[in-house]
Amino acid sequence: MSALKVNNLHRYFGALQAVNGVTFEIPNGSVCGFVGANGAGKTTTMRILATLDYPTLGSAEVCGINVVHQPSEVRRLIGWMPDHFGNYEHMTVLEYLDFYARALGYKGKDRRKRIDEVMDFTDLIPLADRFSNKLSKGMTQRLGLGRALLQDPQVLVMDEPAAGLDPKARVELKHLIRVLAQEGKTIFISSHILSELGEMCDSLLFINNGRIVHHGDAETLKRGSDSVGGVLYDVQVDGDPQLVSDWSVLQPNVEFLESRKLGGRIRIDTQDPTKAADVLARMIKDGLRVTEFHREQRNLEDAFIDILGRLDAGENALTPPPLPQSSNNE
Amino acid sequence: MPITHLTDFSDKLSPMLVKELRQGLRAKTFIAVFLSLQVFLAVMLFSAGAASTSDHVGSVVSGIIFTFFAIAVLLIQPLRGIGALSSEVKGNTIDMMVLTRLSAWRIVFGKWVAIVSQSALLLSTIIPYLILRYFFGGMNLVAELTLLISMFLTSMALTAITVGLSGCSSIIVRALLPIFGLPVLMWTVAAMFLFRGFRSSSGFTDIFALDSTNSRIGMAVYVGAITYLGGSMLSLGTSLIAPAAENHALVRRLVALAAMLILLPLGYSGKIDYELFYLLTIIIAVPAILIALTESAPLVATVCKPFVKRGILGKSIGWFLYPTWASGILCSILIGLIGLAIFFSLEMLNGSVSPWDRGEFIVILAIFGGLFFPAAWQAFLFRGEGQRIGHYLLLLVGSFVMLGILTALSESMDNGLFLWFFAWNPLAFLAMLSDHKADKEVLFGAVAIVDALLLILLITRALIDIRKSASVIREVEISLKKPE
Repeated sequence: MSALKVNNLHRYFGALQAVNGVTFEIPNGSVCGFVGANGAGKTTTMRILATLDYPTLGSAEVCGINVVHQPSEVRRLIGWMPDHFGNYEHMTVLEYLDFYARALGYKGKDRRKRIDEVMDFTDLIPLADRFSNKLSKGMTQRLGLGRALLQDPQVLVMDEPAAGLDPKARVELKHLIRVLAQEGKTIFISSHILSELGEMCDSLLFINNGRIVHHGDAETLKRGSDSVGGVLYDVQVDGDPQLVSDWSVLQPNVEFLESRKLGGRIRIDTQDPTKAADVLARMIKDGLRVTEFHREQRNLEDAFIDILGRLDAGENALTPPPLPQSSNNE
Repeated sequence: MPITHLTDFSDKLSPMLVKELRQGLRAKTFIAVFLSLQVFLAVMLFSAGAASTSDHVGSVVSGIIFTFFAIAVLLIQPLRGIGALSSEVKGNTIDMMVLTRLSAWRIVFGKWVAIVSQSALLLSTIIPYLILRYFFGGMNLVAELTLLISMFLTSMALTAITVGLSGCSSIIVRALLPIFGLPVLMWTVAAMFLFRGFRSSSGFTDIFALDSTNSRIGMAVYVGAITYLGGSMLSLGTSLIAPAAENHALVRRLVALAAMLILLPLGYSGKIDYELFYLLTIIIAVPAILIALTESAPLVATVCKPFVKRGILGKSIGWFLYPTWASGILCSILIGLIGLAIFFSLEMLNGSVSPWDRGEFIVILAIFGGLFFPAAWQAFLFRGEGQRIGHYLLLLVGSFVMLGILTALSESMDNGLFLWFFAWNPLAFLAMLSDHKADKEVLFGAVAIVDALLLILLITRALIDIRKSASVIREVEISLKKPE
């Protein structure tokens, strides 16, 4: 069973189509990154999944339960971490978690035990007596994560959790998310920092103007196998870097793209790795002292921009989702 | 590092109350009010003790105690509720609360109870001063205790109003509330105390001494009225923060309709004083109409389902009880028409003994239309769902301001014919009524026509909205037909 299943989801705010026919499935125990520009429809989709908004059309299910028809049941399964949330005045970190634990129905020893576990996991114990509205952004995000974890949710929906965090806090948050993923929780996370999503996520969903434009795993995107017009290689030589350019001009199916300090960047007009091996063999045969020859990995930002560019050019960029097989809870 | 766990509040208390008390008791406003009240009362009592030779010192001390207690619990404490829910909405924390097992009602109720608990704390701290004041003599124990309790109950209702309206994110509402809302409330409270039963009492103290049937009935009506008003406003706050799948309008509207239908036979039986009867009708109908006219929830399948599965009758009833603006219009018109039916039928029944004449009929129709007038404008000018209450109140206040200007102009001019240019607003007929030359029958006919046009306009707009939502009903019907 899918942890999240969204089918033909639409959400209109008057004339504005915030979400426009979104369909996807995320298997149990996987980590899925949700990527899109501001206003693309990420937060609206996530809020609908968290039962905080409702679809104009279509359906959304969390662990097989419809978010519109059985919102109370869905709320017991889901942990929601919004992009920003205010903290209370005159309330300590411990009191904050105590309030939410009470609100979730924990009583007496169970409550104290659960708060201990969450504070330990999120490293909030040293901050227990600090007023919650006096915390740094990183500490606040840890507190938010702690709150979302209090009911031990099966699915964690996180909207831009790393926004505004310094590098150290970002590393800490990434570590916590990795641990949660290892524990088998399904995590649906949006972020603008695509490189981090690539490291954490089993799959990535790209949304643009309320429509899903890509659903696939990060490695495929990085390798650029989706891209049209060949594969990029970085070539470095021992000697004059100009030699790479001069050699490329004379080769069929090879295009020289730009010079680099020790060589250059070339595009080989094929997806077949054996053809790339042939090109390398010809280089060596022709006397180029190749010190490095590797397939260039696009970063995810490039991949995202590439997909948007292809959309602008009128291509249908949506690739069938090669959904990752879950390692847990299946 | 071990955590020192919290043991300050029992598990049996509502989580919301615990949170609000933890925060509220540390709030600077509460600490300032609490300390200044204590310091002031202590100083005042010592001063009174030093001047205890005077005969009237006891009543002077009482007056001062009650004045300062009134400022604390009738002004400062209710005003603390203004940001109660809006701060949660702005801070994005309301979403996180809704995702817990706290219902929207428990959130609103907890906020209200917390402020009321703090008011109770203030009340408990002035009791020692009242006991000391007893020794200065001239004390009417029952009257002063009743006054104290009445003030506390009024504070509870005022706090319910501010907490309820605080669910609206509109800055207009929160600005209008202290500027216009409190004076209007004070006027309402004064009007309630001045109805015939209370007017028969010889003095202020007699009203609270409860030694006559009229004063006892008056107090009971007052308590009932503020309880209903407070409950309605808390329910409004609940609707404003509740998820779309919850229908809080249902209970609120059913209570109002039931109360109106219970009133009707009571009025015909003649067992209730007719002025009191009219007052009760207004108290029940006006908040219910105001709230129903400003509903902003969308229609979602979960809300429709219980009605749709009961067939055509259920669907028809649903259009009066869904928490949407369109059904709010239909329900408020229904409540308003029941109210009008009560007024007019009783007037005709008791015509010989009633002091009311056609002038009063015009007043009733003008106020009835005045309530729907802002909604009619709103239907076409301001469609923003989130600001609906704010826009409605702004237009209502604007209408009353216009009425004030028209009344002043008509009194300063010999000819009130210009007032007919403003006849599109039913409240303008109140200004016309002050013109002695005006033909009351013509005014009655005209205000009835303006009211009818407003209702037709609103019903048409509501039906258009209902038609737009038909797809939701169809979706529910299809899901009901599918086998489980």
